[in-house]
Amino acid sequence: MASSLSAECTPLKTTYDACFNSWFEGYLEPAVATSAAHRSEYSKRKAEEYQQKCGKIWEEYKACVQKAIKDNGLETVLQQARDEHPLASPAAGQQSPSSK
Amino acid sequence: MKFFSQSFLYDDNWSIVSLAYFLRYPNPYASHVISCDVISREQTETGTLRTTRLILKRGNMPRWFPKQFVSRAESWLVEESEVDPFGKVVHCKTRNLDNLKVMRVEELVEFRQGQEDKTIQHTEVRITSGFGWGLTKRIENYGITRFKANLQRSREGVHLILDLLRQSRLQPM
Repeated sequence: MASSLSAECTPLKTTYDACFNSWFEGYLEPAVATSAAHRSEYSKRKAEEYQQKCGKIWEEYKACVQKAIKDNGLETVLQQARDEHPLASPAAGQQSPSSK
Repeated sequence: MKFFSQSFLYDDNWSIVSLAYFLRYPNPYASHVISCDVISREQTETGTLRTTRLILKRGNMPRWFPKQFVSRAESWLVEESEVDPFGKVVHCKTRNLDNLKVMRVEELVEFRQGQEDKTIQHTEVRITSGFGWGLTKRIENYGITRFKANLQRSREGVHLILDLLRQSRLQPM
Protein backbone atom coordinates (compact mmCIF):
# COMPACT_ATOMS: atom_id res chain seq x y z
CA MET A 1 0.00 0.00 0.00
CA ALA A 2 1.32 3.34 -0.92
CA SER A 3 1.62 6.02 1.72
CA SER A 4 -1.03 8.47 2.77
CA LEU A 5 -0.67 12.09 1.67
CA SER A 6 0.17 12.86 5.27
CA ALA A 7 2.79 10.74 7.07
CA GLU A 8 0.67 11.11 10.19
CA CYS A 9 -2.22 9.21 8.54
CA THR A 10 -0.13 6.40 7.00
CA PRO A 11 -0.46 3.97 9.95
CA LEU A 12 -4.25 4.48 9.95
CA LYS A 13 -4.34 4.07 6.18
CA THR A 14 -2.34 0.83 6.34
CA THR A 15 -4.68 -0.65 8.95
CA TYR A 16 -7.78 0.50 7.10
CA ASP A 17 -6.56 -0.77 3.70
CA ALA A 18 -5.75 -4.18 5.16
CA CYS A 19 -9.23 -4.35 6.68
CA PHE A 20 -10.94 -3.22 3.49
CA ASN A 21 -8.90 -5.51 1.22
CA SER A 22 -9.74 -8.53 3.28
CA TRP A 23 -13.45 -7.57 3.32
CA PHE A 24 -13.40 -6.76 -0.40
CA GLU A 25 -11.88 -10.10 -1.36
CA GLY A 26 -14.60 -11.87 0.63
CA TYR A 27 -17.25 -9.64 -0.95
CA LEU A 28 -16.44 -9.94 -4.66
CA GLU A 29 -16.39 -13.64 -5.43
CA PRO A 30 -19.49 -14.66 -3.42
CA ALA A 31 -21.32 -11.59 -4.80
CA VAL A 32 -20.65 -12.75 -8.35
CA ALA A 33 -22.10 -16.16 -7.46
CA THR A 34 -25.16 -14.81 -5.61
CA SER A 35 -28.47 -15.33 -7.39
CA ALA A 36 -30.62 -12.31 -8.27
CA ALA A 37 -33.15 -13.15 -5.55
CA HIS A 38 -30.55 -12.99 -2.78
CA ARG A 39 -28.55 -9.96 -3.89
CA SER A 40 -30.13 -7.31 -1.74
CA GLU A 41 -29.93 -9.52 1.34
CA TYR A 42 -26.29 -10.33 0.51
CA SER A 43 -25.40 -6.64 0.04
CA LYS A 44 -27.03 -5.71 3.31
CA ARG A 45 -25.23 -8.46 5.20
CA LYS A 46 -21.88 -7.48 3.68
CA ALA A 47 -22.47 -3.78 4.43
CA GLU A 48 -23.11 -4.66 8.08
CA GLU A 49 -20.01 -6.85 8.18
CA TYR A 50 -17.92 -4.01 6.72
CA GLN A 51 -19.29 -1.55 9.24
CA GLN A 52 -18.58 -3.92 12.08
CA LYS A 53 -15.04 -4.82 10.97
CA CYS A 54 -13.74 -1.64 9.35
CA GLY A 55 -16.18 1.09 10.43
CA LYS A 56 -14.19 2.37 13.39
CA ILE A 57 -10.79 2.49 11.68
CA TRP A 58 -12.44 4.08 8.63
CA GLU A 59 -13.79 6.96 10.73
CA GLU A 60 -10.35 7.56 12.27
CA TYR A 61 -8.54 7.36 8.93
CA LYS A 62 -11.13 9.57 7.19
CA ALA A 63 -10.85 12.27 9.88
CA CYS A 64 -7.05 12.25 9.54
CA VAL A 65 -7.14 12.50 5.73
CA GLN A 66 -9.79 15.21 5.76
CA LYS A 67 -7.58 17.31 8.01
CA ALA A 68 -4.57 16.67 5.73
CA ILE A 69 -6.63 17.71 2.70
CA LYS A 70 -7.52 20.98 4.43
CA ASP A 71 -3.92 21.55 5.50
CA ASN A 72 -2.78 21.05 1.91
CA GLY A 73 -5.37 23.51 0.61
CA LEU A 74 -6.96 20.84 -1.57
CA GLU A 75 -10.49 21.05 -0.24
CA THR A 76 -11.95 23.47 -2.78
CA VAL A 77 -10.36 22.04 -5.89
CA LEU A 78 -11.37 18.53 -4.86
CA GLN A 79 -14.97 19.49 -4.17
CA GLN A 80 -15.18 21.32 -7.50
CA ALA A 81 -13.86 18.33 -9.41
CA ARG A 82 -16.31 15.97 -7.75
CA ASP A 83 -19.29 18.28 -8.28
CA GLU A 84 -18.48 18.98 -11.92
CA HIS A 85 -18.02 15.43 -13.12
CA PRO A 86 -19.37 12.80 -10.78
CA LEU A 87 -18.87 9.25 -11.95
CA ALA A 88 -21.87 8.17 -13.97
CA SER A 89 -24.35 5.88 -12.28
CA PRO A 90 -24.25 2.22 -13.44
CA ALA A 91 -27.21 2.85 -15.74
CA ALA A 92 -25.52 5.82 -17.40
CA GLY A 93 -22.26 3.90 -17.43
CA GLN A 94 -23.85 1.40 -19.79
CA GLN A 95 -23.49 4.02 -22.51
CA SER A 96 -19.73 3.74 -22.62
CA PRO A 97 -18.51 2.87 -26.13
CA SER A 98 -17.27 -0.62 -25.32
CA SER A 99 -20.72 -1.77 -24.32
CA LYS A 100 -22.65 -0.38 -27.28
CA MET B 1 -8.23 17.38 -27.82
CA LYS B 2 -6.57 14.03 -28.38
CA PHE B 3 -8.37 10.76 -27.85
CA PHE B 4 -6.99 7.28 -27.49
CA SER B 5 -8.62 3.98 -26.61
CA GLN B 6 -7.49 0.42 -26.24
CA SER B 7 -8.98 -2.91 -25.20
CA PHE B 8 -7.12 -5.72 -23.54
CA LEU B 9 -8.00 -9.24 -22.46
CA TYR B 10 -6.90 -10.80 -19.18
CA ASP B 11 -6.89 -14.59 -18.89
CA ASP B 12 -8.30 -14.42 -15.36
CA ASN B 13 -11.91 -14.04 -14.26
CA TRP B 14 -13.54 -10.71 -13.46
CA SER B 15 -13.50 -10.89 -9.68
CA ILE B 16 -9.76 -11.57 -9.36
CA VAL B 17 -8.81 -8.97 -12.00
CA SER B 18 -10.99 -6.37 -10.29
CA LEU B 19 -9.43 -7.21 -6.94
CA ALA B 20 -5.93 -6.91 -8.42
CA TYR B 21 -6.84 -3.56 -9.95
CA PHE B 22 -7.94 -2.24 -6.56
CA LEU B 23 -4.78 -3.54 -4.88
CA ARG B 24 -2.41 -2.32 -7.59
CA TYR B 25 -0.57 0.29 -5.51
CA PRO B 26 2.18 -0.06 -4.64
CA ASN B 27 3.92 -2.14 -7.25
CA PRO B 28 7.36 -1.79 -8.85
CA TYR B 29 5.75 -0.48 -12.05
CA ALA B 30 4.07 2.36 -10.16
CA SER B 31 6.98 3.96 -8.34
CA HIS B 32 5.68 7.35 -9.49
CA VAL B 33 2.72 7.00 -7.11
CA ILE B 34 3.66 8.97 -4.00
CA SER B 35 0.43 8.69 -2.05
CA CYS B 36 -3.00 7.17 -2.44
CA ASP B 37 -5.91 7.80 -0.05
CA VAL B 38 -9.52 6.72 0.03
CA ILE B 39 -11.57 9.85 0.67
CA SER B 40 -15.03 8.39 0.36
CA ARG B 41 -16.55 4.96 0.07
CA GLU B 42 -20.15 3.81 0.09
CA GLN B 43 -22.26 0.83 -0.82
CA THR B 44 -25.18 1.96 -2.95
CA GLU B 45 -28.74 0.70 -2.70
CA THR B 46 -28.23 -1.57 -5.68
CA GLY B 47 -25.28 -3.21 -3.94
CA THR B 48 -22.47 -1.56 -5.89
CA LEU B 49 -19.43 -0.10 -4.19
CA ARG B 50 -18.38 3.48 -4.92
CA THR B 51 -14.93 4.70 -3.99
CA THR B 52 -13.17 8.02 -4.42
CA ARG B 53 -9.41 8.09 -4.07
CA LEU B 54 -7.01 11.00 -4.01
CA ILE B 55 -3.67 10.14 -5.59
CA LEU B 56 -0.40 12.07 -5.78
CA LYS B 57 1.85 11.16 -8.69
CA ARG B 58 5.28 12.36 -9.61
CA GLY B 59 4.85 14.50 -12.69
CA ASN B 60 6.82 14.03 -15.84
CA MET B 61 6.90 17.17 -17.90
CA PRO B 62 8.99 17.07 -21.07
CA ARG B 63 12.40 18.72 -21.04
CA TRP B 64 11.29 21.27 -23.64
CA PHE B 65 8.41 22.48 -21.47
CA PRO B 66 8.78 25.97 -19.94
CA LYS B 67 9.23 25.20 -16.22
CA GLN B 68 7.76 28.45 -14.92
CA PHE B 69 4.25 27.40 -15.99
CA VAL B 70 4.03 24.30 -13.85
CA SER B 71 3.32 25.01 -10.21
CA ARG B 72 4.96 21.83 -8.95
CA ALA B 73 6.52 18.63 -10.16
CA GLU B 74 3.81 16.45 -8.65
CA SER B 75 0.24 16.12 -9.74
CA TRP B 76 -2.96 15.43 -7.74
CA LEU B 77 -5.48 13.09 -9.28
CA VAL B 78 -8.95 12.07 -8.25
CA GLU B 79 -10.12 8.55 -9.08
CA GLU B 80 -13.79 7.61 -8.83
CA SER B 81 -14.75 4.00 -9.22
CA GLU B 82 -17.86 1.89 -9.05
CA VAL B 83 -17.76 -1.87 -8.68
CA ASP B 84 -20.88 -3.79 -9.62
CA PRO B 85 -20.28 -7.44 -8.70
CA PHE B 86 -23.75 -8.48 -9.89
CA GLY B 87 -23.35 -7.01 -13.36
CA LYS B 88 -19.65 -7.94 -13.27
CA VAL B 89 -18.38 -4.53 -14.25
CA VAL B 90 -15.97 -1.96 -12.82
CA HIS B 91 -16.04 1.65 -14.00
CA CYS B 92 -13.18 3.89 -13.06
CA LYS B 93 -12.63 7.52 -13.96
CA THR B 94 -9.46 9.46 -13.18
CA ARG B 95 -8.72 13.15 -13.65
CA ASN B 96 -5.91 15.50 -12.72
CA LEU B 97 -6.68 18.36 -10.35
CA ASP B 98 -3.83 20.74 -11.05
CA ASN B 99 -1.98 22.18 -14.03
CA LEU B 100 -5.31 21.94 -15.85
CA LYS B 101 -4.46 24.72 -18.28
CA VAL B 102 -1.32 22.91 -19.36
CA MET B 103 -2.94 19.53 -19.72
CA ARG B 104 -6.28 18.07 -18.69
CA VAL B 105 -6.22 14.28 -18.66
CA GLU B 106 -9.39 12.26 -18.24
CA GLU B 107 -9.12 8.50 -18.20
CA LEU B 108 -11.95 5.98 -18.21
CA VAL B 109 -11.30 2.33 -17.48
CA GLU B 110 -13.82 -0.45 -17.57
CA PHE B 111 -13.47 -4.10 -16.60
CA ARG B 112 -16.09 -6.51 -17.86
CA GLN B 113 -16.49 -10.25 -17.71
CA GLY B 114 -15.76 -11.70 -21.13
CA GLN B 115 -16.22 -15.17 -22.56
CA GLU B 116 -14.47 -18.25 -21.15
CA ASP B 117 -13.96 -16.56 -17.79
CA LYS B 118 -11.68 -13.92 -19.24
CA THR B 119 -11.82 -10.22 -18.43
CA ILE B 120 -11.91 -7.35 -20.90
CA GLN B 121 -10.28 -4.09 -19.94
CA HIS B 122 -11.28 -1.10 -22.00
CA THR B 123 -9.38 2.16 -21.53
CA GLU B 124 -10.13 5.58 -22.99
CA VAL B 125 -8.26 8.79 -22.50
CA ARG B 126 -8.97 12.39 -23.48
CA ILE B 127 -6.12 14.84 -23.30
CA THR B 128 -6.81 18.55 -23.72
CA SER B 129 -4.32 21.35 -23.50
CA GLY B 130 -5.37 24.97 -23.31
CA PHE B 131 -1.83 26.18 -23.17
CA GLY B 132 -1.52 27.94 -26.51
CA TRP B 133 1.78 29.58 -27.56
CA GLY B 134 1.90 27.09 -30.42
CA LEU B 135 2.52 24.30 -27.92
CA THR B 136 -1.01 22.91 -27.53
CA LYS B 137 -0.65 20.13 -30.14
CA ARG B 138 2.82 19.24 -29.00
CA ILE B 139 1.70 18.95 -25.37
CA GLU B 140 -1.31 16.81 -26.32
CA ASN B 141 0.83 14.50 -28.48
CA TYR B 142 3.36 14.19 -25.71
CA GLY B 143 0.55 13.35 -23.27
CA ILE B 144 -0.83 10.59 -25.49
CA THR B 145 2.59 9.07 -26.11
CA ARG B 146 3.31 8.96 -22.40
CA PHE B 147 -0.14 7.61 -21.66
CA LYS B 148 0.40 4.68 -24.05
CA ALA B 149 3.73 3.83 -22.45
CA ASN B 150 2.24 4.11 -18.94
CA LEU B 151 -0.72 1.93 -19.89
CA GLN B 152 1.68 -0.89 -20.71
CA ARG B 153 3.43 -0.45 -17.37
CA SER B 154 0.18 -0.26 -15.45
CA ARG B 155 -0.93 -3.53 -17.05
CA GLU B 156 2.34 -5.18 -16.04
CA GLY B 157 1.68 -3.94 -12.51
CA VAL B 158 -1.79 -5.53 -12.47
CA HIS B 159 -0.30 -8.78 -13.84
CA LEU B 160 2.22 -8.83 -11.03
CA ILE B 161 -0.52 -8.37 -8.40
CA LEU B 162 -2.54 -11.11 -10.13
CA ASP B 163 0.41 -13.50 -9.82
CA LEU B 164 0.73 -12.68 -6.12
CA LEU B 165 -2.99 -13.24 -5.54
CA ARG B 166 -2.91 -16.59 -7.36
CA GLN B 167 0.11 -17.72 -5.34
CA SER B 168 -1.44 -16.73 -2.02
CA ARG B 169 -4.61 -18.64 -2.91
CA LEU B 170 -2.67 -21.80 -3.72
CA GLN B 171 -1.00 -21.82 -0.34
CA PRO B 172 -2.93 -23.39 2.52
CA MET B 173 -3.81 -20.70 5.07
